[in-house]
Amino acid sequence: MNCSSFVGHDEAKLALLLNATDPRCGGVLFVGEKGCGKSTLARSLRSILPSGTPFVELPLNVTDEALLGTIAIEDTLRTGARVFQQGIFARADGGVLFIDDVNLLSPEIVSLILEVQGRGENIVEREGLRMRHPASFILVASMNPEEGDLSPHLLDRFGMCTGFERLNDIAERMAVVRAVICQDQNDSDLELTERIEAARKILPTVAVRDRFLEYIADICMHYNVAGHRADLYLLAAARAYAALNGRSDVSREDINAVAPLVLMHRRRELQPPPPPDKQEESPPEHNHEPPRDNQQEQQPEPPQNNTDKQKHDQPPKPHELPPQKEEVFTVGQMFRLKRIAFRKDRLERAASGRRTRTRARNRGGRYVKSVLRKNRDIAIDATLRAAAPFQSVRKRTDVVIINEEDFRYKRKERKMGHLAIFVVDGSGSMGAQKRMVAAKGAVQSLLMDCYQKRDTVAMIVFRKDRAEVVLDPTASIEHAARRLREIPVGGKTPLGAGLLEAYRLLERVGRKRPETRFLILLITDGRANQSVTEMPPDEEVARMAALMSEQHGIDIIVVDTEEKGRFTTMDRAASIAALLGADYYTIEDLKADYLVDIVKRSSPEF
Amino acid sequence: MIFPFSAIVGQDEMKTGLILNVIDPSIGGLLIMGEKGTGKSTAVRALADLLPEIEAVKDCPFTCDPSGVLCTKCTEDLQNEGHLHHTRKKMRVVELPLGITEDRLVGTLDIEHAIKKGEKRFESGILANANRNFLYVDEVNLLEDHIVDLLLDSAAMGVNTVEREGVSFVHPARFMLVGTMNPEEGDLRPQLLDRFGLCVGVTSLYDKGQRIEILRRRDAFDSDQDAFYKQWNGEQQKLSERISAARSVVGSIPMDDRVLEKIVSVTASLKLDGHRADIVMMKTARALTAFRGLSTISSDEIRDAAWFALRHRLKRLPFEEIGAEREKVTEALAQI
Repeated sequence: MNCSSFVGHDEAKLALLLNATDPRCGGVLFVGEKGCGKSTLARSLRSILPSGTPFVELPLNVTDEALLGTIAIEDTLRTGARVFQQGIFARADGGVLFIDDVNLLSPEIVSLILEVQGRGENIVEREGLRMRHPASFILVASMNPEEGDLSPHLLDRFGMCTGFERLNDIAERMAVVRAVICQDQNDSDLELTERIEAARKILPTVAVRDRFLEYIADICMHYNVAGHRADLYLLAAARAYAALNGRSDVSREDINAVAPLVLMHRRRELQPPPPPDKQEESPPEHNHEPPRDNQQEQQPEPPQNNTDKQKHDQPPKPHELPPQKEEVFTVGQMFRLKRIAFRKDRLERAASGRRTRTRARNRGGRYVKSVLRKNRDIAIDATLRAAAPFQSVRKRTDVVIINEEDFRYKRKERKMGHLAIFVVDGSGSMGAQKRMVAAKGAVQSLLMDCYQKRDTVAMIVFRKDRAEVVLDPTASIEHAARRLREIPVGGKTPLGAGLLEAYRLLERVGRKRPETRFLILLITDGRANQSVTEMPPDEEVARMAALMSEQHGIDIIVVDTEEKGRFTTMDRAASIAALLGADYYTIEDLKADYLVDIVKRSSPEF
Repeated sequence: MIFPFSAIVGQDEMKTGLILNVIDPSIGGLLIMGEKGTGKSTAVRALADLLPEIEAVKDCPFTCDPSGVLCTKCTEDLQNEGHLHHTRKKMRVVELPLGITEDRLVGTLDIEHAIKKGEKRFESGILANANRNFLYVDEVNLLEDHIVDLLLDSAAMGVNTVEREGVSFVHPARFMLVGTMNPEEGDLRPQLLDRFGLCVGVTSLYDKGQRIEILRRRDAFDSDQDAFYKQWNGEQQKLSERISAARSVVGSIPMDDRVLEKIVSVTASLKLDGHRADIVMMKTARALTAFRGLSTISSDEIRDAAWFALRHRLKRLPFEEIGAEREKVTEALAQI
C-alpha cells in the first residue's frame, strides 16, 4: 500500500511525512474506529522511509524473550558459549517500532517498551545473558479507543497523535477502495520520497528564532501539558514541517500547522499551575488523565485541513467545568477491617485451575525461575547450568551433551488481574442525610484493603444524565482515594447508565487481560429515574442487570444506601440486587466491621 | 553521549538529592517521584559523569573496599597472600532493567567455565556490579515483586549470599538505590519505599524562561553533542570539584548535641518509627553543609534535610491528604 494513495487523511499523512523527515518528531499514534484504514496507513510509512530504515512490527502476544532477546538455543548448545538471539528491540534500532492495537498490549510489555525506549538502549540481564545494545526507535501505533485505553505514560511517548474519522463520503470511500486495489501507483510515492529526501538535506540548517521558541513554550503552557516532551516534539515537528516546505527558517505558521498533531493527546484540563517557588512540592497532584477523555470526546473531529491556519490558531475548547450547584461530601469514618476482602489462598487459586488454563492459552508472563517440573518452555540457561559441570565426564567433543535429568523449565508468572470496579451513585438523593458520607467511608475501607493486596481499582460515578469513568483501572490507590474525595453529588439517578459503563469497562479490560477477575461494587439507593435509552429507567436497569448477570468471572455486591425504617423507604436496591444475582447489604451492615467478611463470603473467587 | 548534568534546567531539589548521595553514599539513595517527561531519567544517567574515584581492590569484580567487607575471593586472597592490591575506580551508575531475571541479579554458576573446565565458578550479577555504586531502577514501582524481594534482602544485609546450582559465594552489596517513578502508575511497597534514603518530587516547570532554556539546550545538544559537551565542560568541572571538596570535608563536620537534639525533636514530633529517619536526616544535613561550603550545620540545613529525608517516611494512612502531611512537617520544622 502506498502512502500517497490515501485520500482524506491529510493530518495523518502529514504526521508520517514529518516523521520520515526527522525521527526526532517522536512517532505517531493513530486513533480511530475499526476499518478506518489507520493500520494500513501506518504501515505505509515503510514505503516513504529512507531505504534500509528498520520497520518492525510488534505482535500483541509478544513475549519478554521475543522483545528483549533471548539465548539462542542451537548456537549455544553447539558452541558451549552463550549466544544472544536478537529480539524485536534490537531489530527496531534506528527505525520504527509499529504496534497495531497498542492499547491491547499487556501492562508488563508496555512497561518494557517505556523503559527501553526511554533509555535508547536495551540492557539484557536475563537467562544467563549479559549484554547491551542500542535500541533507539520511534513508536508508530494504532488504537481503537472503543477497545480500551492507553496508559498515559505510553501516550506521552508518542510525538504525535491524530484521530481518524470514519469515511462517510462515498467518493472518498471509493477512492480508498480503489487505492487499495490498485497497488501499482508507485509514481506519487516516489515524489514523496524525493520531497522527504530534499527536506532531510536542509533539515540541519533549519533555524528557529528565539521568539518562536517562546511561542512554542507559550502554546505548551497554554494547554497545560505534563512534562517537557511536548515542547521538544513541537520544535522538531515545526522544523521538519519547514524543511518539507523547502524553508530553512521556522515560522509561526509552521508551528501552528503541526501543533494539533503534537498537542492532541497531551492537553489537560485547564488549571492554574502550582506556584513556582513551592520547593516542598509533594508528588504532583494534577494527575487527571485528560488524554483519554479528550480522545473519546474529540477524536471523531475531522482531520483538520492543514492549509487552514486560522483554525489552528484557535485553541481547542477547554474542558467544560461542571456547574456549581452540587456538593462534595467528605469521606466518612473508615471501618477497621478485620478480614481482607480480596484475600484468597494462593493454593486455592492454583487449584482452581484457572491459572493453568491461562498459561496454556498464552505463553506470556514473566520468567520467574526455572523448575524441574516439565512444561512447554525449556529454560535453556538453567538446563545448561545443570549440564555444564558434567561435560568433561560425559566426554563432550564439540556439542554440549544434555541428558534427560538436566532439563529445566521456565516458570512464568503473570499477575492475576484483580479489578474492583466501584460504581457509585452520585445523584441528589445520595446527598440526603449525608448518605454519601457513609458510602464514601465504605468505599474507602475497601480501597484500603486493595492497597494492602495491591489490586487494581476503577471507579464509575453516575449522576444527572450520564455515567462517567472517573478513575481508570489503576494500581495507585492514593490516586483512587483522591478521586473518591472529589465525587460530587447532585442531579438525577441514571442507574442504567452506571451499569452500562461498568459493562463497557469489563469488556475493555477483559479483552486486554482475559484472566482478570472482577468485583463490582454498586453503591446506590436504587432509585433510578433517568434513562440513557428510550426505555423507562426501571426497564433499562432490568435489561442491563440481565446482561451483567450472564457474565462469567464477575462478582457483584450491591450496597443499599437508603435509610431504612422510614415511610419513604422503597427498597429498590434490593430488587436490583436480585436482578443482578448480586449479594445485597444495607449501609447499616457496613457500619459493622464485618463488612469485608461480607465481601469475602459473597465472592469466594476473590 | 549523555546530556550533561549541569545543563539540566531547574529541578534543583532532584539534582541536590543526587549530589548529596555522592558526597555521602551512606545516605542510601534517592527516590524521584514525578510526572512523565520531567527529566528524571536524564538527571540520573547524567550523574555518572560527575562521580568520583574510589579506592578498591584491584581486579575485584565486586569493587571490594580494601578496608571494608570483602568478598569470598578477596578474603581468600588476603589469607593466602597477606595483602591486597589497591586501585582507584570511578564510581558508576549501574542500571537494573525491568526485565531482569533472578540469575542475573544475584549471580549464579558460570556456564561456560563449567562446560570447558568442568569447574563450578561463580559468575557475578547486577548486585555485584552495584556494590559501592549507584543502582538505578527506572520505573521502580513497576519492578516485579520477586525481584524487589531479592533487592530488599541484600539491601538489608549489605551482602549478597548466593547458594544456588552448586556454587556458594558471598560478596558485599552496598549500593545507593536510585529509583524514578510516576505515581500515577502505581504505588511502591512500603518496605521498598523505606529503603530509599531520600525522596524528592518533581513537576513540570511553569516558568516560561526555563521552558525556553530547556528547548534551547536540548536542541543544541541534539544538533551537535560534542560541541555541547565542550560548551558545558567548564560547568561540569566546577561541579565535580565542588563535589570532591565536599566529599573530603564531610567527615569532619561536627555533629554536636545541639544539632542532634533538633533533628530528634523533629522526628519525634512526627512520631516516626525507628532510627533510620534520624540517621539519614543527620547525614543529609551534614552533606548539605559540606556542599554549601559551610563548616557547621545550621538550622537551614536541618530544615532542608528534613524535606529530603522525611517526605516518604511520614507515617500516614495511605489516603491521608498529602497537604496535611506537608503541614505537619512545616509545623515541626518551625520549632527548630
